[in-house]
Amino acid sequence: MRRLRSALRLSVLALALAGAGAGAARAQDADPLARAEALEEQQQWRAAGAAYRDALAKEPGSLGALLGLERVYDQLGARDSLMPYVDRALRLEPRDTGLRTLQLRTARYVGGRGAVRAAFESWRRAAPGDAAPYRAYARMLLAEGDAAAADTILAEAAATTGDARNFAYETAMLQAARGQWVAAAAAWREAATDRPYFAQAAVYSLTPAPVAQRDGVRRALAAPPAAAGARSVLASLELAWGDPRRGWEALRVLPPDSLRATVWRDFAQRAEAADAWLVARDALVAAATPTLDGPLFADAARDALRGGDARGADSIAALSASVMDSASAAALAVPVRVEALSVLGRGRDAERVAAAYAPYAAPEQRAAMARWVAWAWVRAGDLSRARASLEASGEDAGDAAGWFALYEGDLAAARRALAPERARSADELMAVAILGRTTKDRSTATGAAFLALARGDSAAAARQFALAAAELPDAAPLLLAQSARLEAARGDDRAAIAIWQRIVEQMPQSPEAPASDLAWARALRRSHQDAAAVARLEHLILNYPDSALLPQARRELDAARRAGASTS
Amino acid sequence: MRRALAALLLAAATRRAPAQHLLVPMDDAQQNHLKAYGLTYNALHAGAKGEWLLNYRGGSFLLPDTPELRRRAALDGITTEPVGDAALGAVRTEMAGGNMEAVPLERAPKIAIYTPPYASPWDDAVTMALNYAGIPYDTVWDDGVLRGDLAKYDWLHLFHEDFTGQLGRFYIAYRGAPWFADQERANLEAARAHGFSNIPALKKAVAERVRRYVENGGFLFAMCGATETLELAIAGANVDIAVSYADGTPIAPDADERMDWSRTFAFRDAHLETAELISSMSDIDGHQANVPGRRQPLGAFTLFAFSAKFDPVASMLVQDHRTVIPDFYGVTTSFSRRTLKPGVTILAEEPGAPWVKYIHGDYGKGSWTFLGGHDPEDPQHAIGNPPTDLSLHPNSPGYRLILNNVLFPAAKRKPLKT
Repeated sequence: MRRLRSALRLSVLALALAGAGAGAARAQDADPLARAEALEEQQQWRAAGAAYRDALAKEPGSLGALLGLERVYDQLGARDSLMPYVDRALRLEPRDTGLRTLQLRTARYVGGRGAVRAAFESWRRAAPGDAAPYRAYARMLLAEGDAAAADTILAEAAATTGDARNFAYETAMLQAARGQWVAAAAAWREAATDRPYFAQAAVYSLTPAPVAQRDGVRRALAAPPAAAGARSVLASLELAWGDPRRGWEALRVLPPDSLRATVWRDFAQRAEAADAWLVARDALVAAATPTLDGPLFADAARDALRGGDARGADSIAALSASVMDSASAAALAVPVRVEALSVLGRGRDAERVAAAYAPYAAPEQRAAMARWVAWAWVRAGDLSRARASLEASGEDAGDAAGWFALYEGDLAAARRALAPERARSADELMAVAILGRTTKDRSTATGAAFLALARGDSAAAARQFALAAAELPDAAPLLLAQSARLEAARGDDRAAIAIWQRIVEQMPQSPEAPASDLAWARALRRSHQDAAAVARLEHLILNYPDSALLPQARRELDAARRAGASTS
Repeated sequence: MRRALAALLLAAATRRAPAQHLLVPMDDAQQNHLKAYGLTYNALHAGAKGEWLLNYRGGSFLLPDTPELRRRAALDGITTEPVGDAALGAVRTEMAGGNMEAVPLERAPKIAIYTPPYASPWDDAVTMALNYAGIPYDTVWDDGVLRGDLAKYDWLHLFHEDFTGQLGRFYIAYRGAPWFADQERANLEAARAHGFSNIPALKKAVAERVRRYVENGGFLFAMCGATETLELAIAGANVDIAVSYADGTPIAPDADERMDWSRTFAFRDAHLETAELISSMSDIDGHQANVPGRRQPLGAFTLFAFSAKFDPVASMLVQDHRTVIPDFYGVTTSFSRRTLKPGVTILAEEPGAPWVKYIHGDYGKGSWTFLGGHDPEDPQHAIGNPPTDLSLHPNSPGYRLILNNVLFPAAKRKPLKT
């Protein structure tokens, strides 16, 4: 019985739905505009056109139907057929901006420049003193690349309407199209001040300004008084031009108002997208300070850490934790702080902070903090405390056991514990490469080199990798190449070149030899020794014809030859 | 089958004895077609002799097998194949039986590029091609041309210059741009320094020198707007063909009727564009890329296959590993068939279209070649766009057409077989 009732209910529901569907179809039949839109959606262009015409027969001034007919005629290659419908609509609404703009567009397709001009004149007569006809016509001319004609129209517009500010957007577009970047920036400043939604267009328009013109653009946008719209445009431009720090300097001086924090937060997001972490840090700290916004401070601390400012991350995260409840702090601020302390090698502080918030932290956060504490002890050079700390936490050591073995020079244990498929960072990849290259089971110098890397002591690491080459002759070219890379990264090209030379001359069959040739040539180019760089690149190309580095080497050879020719 | 046999012989020969020749294949086996021209040019420049094997493997080159050439080829990533006498014999046998011909290459032509001293917001495809291929050249501008410097060169290239003196009619859209003001100033100064009252007068005088250079035996290669405007300047030597913002007076109302097409290289009966605000010079250009409403879409053009034995010059100009090449816009993109003189050789066309892309002809003791469009690897190239990085297009079939023109004056002219 219950099943019967249920089936009955279902069929009633189905009938109701069918009734609703039929009702909708009837409504669509009754409304030609809805029918036209549905047909257009199905790409039935001819039928849609007929339906739009039906709609216009019922309501000749319908802008929606006219725009639909424009789209459909465009598909059918019959844009010229639209004009009679537009003309009829305009007889009813001669001042309607939408209809007039459509008339301009149609005239462009039907009769070219003369017809557009006539349409503009007709609009101007119908709406004397109105800025809209000038604005639409000038934009159309600019889109066609006719800056000179647009200039004439804008001059007429300013004279007729008596207010040039009305045309700040069009003037800015005009100046940018002509390459008059400073004037364009001044016009955009006005436009973006009155209408903040123009900011995006301003940035798009001014980004191509050549380097020599950018200071002028900066001065125009930063002229006092500081306006949020113009400053925001300048900040975005600086980001686009690759100088986020200058972008932040442009925004930093904004007067205090409700908009300021939002602008700063938006800018921080864009700086993060550009990997300008320390700039994002400053913007977030500034945005968070007035209201002591804890989560925002935590974001700033994370950005500081990503930007290599562990000390700043520690203090910002501490501030963040101090203005939040313990659970929020444990979730947002404390993990960042423990990681920062770990990077700084402050094992005792990391242990204390992690322990204080452990009761409020989720299990996975506790595990992550335990690992950071262990790494803090590694960076402090105390391997036994690192091991003890991990064991005391009861957390899974993960790859840490393998790293500890490596640091102690126990290559066999490290080889067993470090999984190549989990290697992500440059240090991890280097470690698994060395362990895979050598058959030896012990190397004190290799362990010391990786430990020095973990402690951030690249000079000691470079020395130790060079020493390790003697302990592990089967991996010597790889270890020496790593040593040279570290020396070059420290800015000591002389020391690096000596090592690359050793690899190229004494280990020419090793896979590192062509890469060393290329790195050597690049170092020579950095010191403007182009002829010597050419010789190195030629050596690489001629001696390693099967190397995957050849396409790059040939490009750099061309560049070095050109540089050599221009300086000789 | 015959080609396979030749390859087999070639491989066997290279195993047995040191080769005496380097074959530079120009088919799909070639890793860097553009630099291969540089290798050949520089071999000739260093005094070596070579051969251009027309229609053999994409128009290959045969050079002497020297350590220096091998080294240069290896450095530039150019594919070469060592060939001994036996293998070369097989190649020649194959060539004798087909539409192929070996043309001796004897002397590297001395090259000049007509280029202004100021920086322009566009690049010259020929300059880029020569730089990339490592082919040396000199630059000349109006002073040098009027001084008679063209006589020093075998080959002259003209690119984007507007020889009607209207500065490309860029006044319409760019009259306020600093680069346009710089160009206008530099050209006006040059005109006054040579006693001309305006830029059109200066450029007509330069065009006349170019015409005489070809008449006296020079090789001319022009691209883009230089093709059309050079011809208009020559035909309109005694007519005002410049708009008022170029010389202060409008185009003569009867200019079309007064044009003297008997002195031009390629075109006749073109109609001048007299409307001052339309960015077009005449109806020579089929595509009218800068005129909204007239602009024609890009298609692809097809290279003609000429008889290598009976028409080696035209054959040299169309050597390529592709026969159908995507079209590319320029100030002048193509040439209307209607405006071509009867004796003009069409090297490439878009089948069915009312325009052609690439043309050639003799004039006096010299010859000329016109290629429409601006940059074969940047079909929509616009003012201010960054230059094309040719190291990303080492096998460009469009750029090969340019480099064919650079090498063809190196060929020893054979008497035509009758």
